[in-house]
Amino acid sequence: MATINATVSISSDISSYPVRINNSMTMKKAGSCHGLDETTGLRTKKFTSTTDAVIVEHDELTDDKAHKVYIRNTSSSKENYFYIAYNASAAAATTAETIGKLYGGDWMLFPYDGNVNIVAASSTTDTQVLEYMVFADGIVAAAG
Amino acid sequence: MATTTATLRLSSSDLQPGNTLSINATSTLMKAGLTTGLTQVESGVISLALETESRLGPLGTEISGGVHDIASWLYLCNKATDDTYYIDWGIHETNIGKLYAGDWMFIPWSASDDVAAIELEAQVAAQTIEYAFFNSNFILAADAGA
Repeated sequence: MATINATVSISSDISSYPVRINNSMTMKKAGSCHGLDETTGLRTKKFTSTTDAVIVEHDELTDDKAHKVYIRNTSSSKENYFYIAYNASAAAATTAETIGKLYGGDWMLFPYDGNVNIVAASSTTDTQVLEYMVFADGIVAAAG
Repeated sequence: MATTTATLRLSSSDLQPGNTLSINATSTLMKAGLTTGLTQVESGVISLALETESRLGPLGTEISGGVHDIASWLYLCNKATDDTYYIDWGIHETNIGKLYAGDWMFIPWSASDDVAAIELEAQVAAQTIEYAFFNSNFILAADAGA
């Protein structure tokens, strides 16, 4: 059993009462006190077109579990972004399952059931790099 | 201009033996495509009834000017402590994951069409969540009696 810790800190002065969120979690298997102990590894993918690409293939993961997905746009541009979607087909933009847009420097971390692919599409033909990692609650070995 | 900053630290000394995991990421959240900060925040603590689908935040149609593809951010935490408790989260009738007791998540949410909405459903038992939306485009729903 491994111990994977994730800590978030969010601060904002939008309101008169400054927002300060600080929280930590230890990633656990579904319905269990045991920690996640598998990963697909930290990956980077360079995009030079707006063509959609599957970045997380659900076939590699056990269905209906408590996987966690980390994704970050490593570029610095606040004009360009990646669409991120939960979608069976390679379409990430303006579908019902589009989650959101990751602009330069933005990151996301979310629980993922492993039932459908995670797809990304760049908004530009300029080079952008996506960094991502799945903390898995079960990896399915590829058939030989 | 308001400044909203989100920082993530991911660490593990034993997930990959001989290769300590340490990821640090910080982002200053901006309006879509701009370098000006977000201007609205909505936060709270709410209870979710067992196996009752609930919508968190507005529909796409309740966003200023009916615009979509906004820059909006959601922080969500399941405050339950029983490891077997979880909340299904998804967008528009599509479950995406299970937010177990003590877990948190942070995502961009762009309200890609009129019916896009963040949907939550507590499983096993009623549960309490803590949430915060950061954005710049939401408007209050019209008074139905007006």
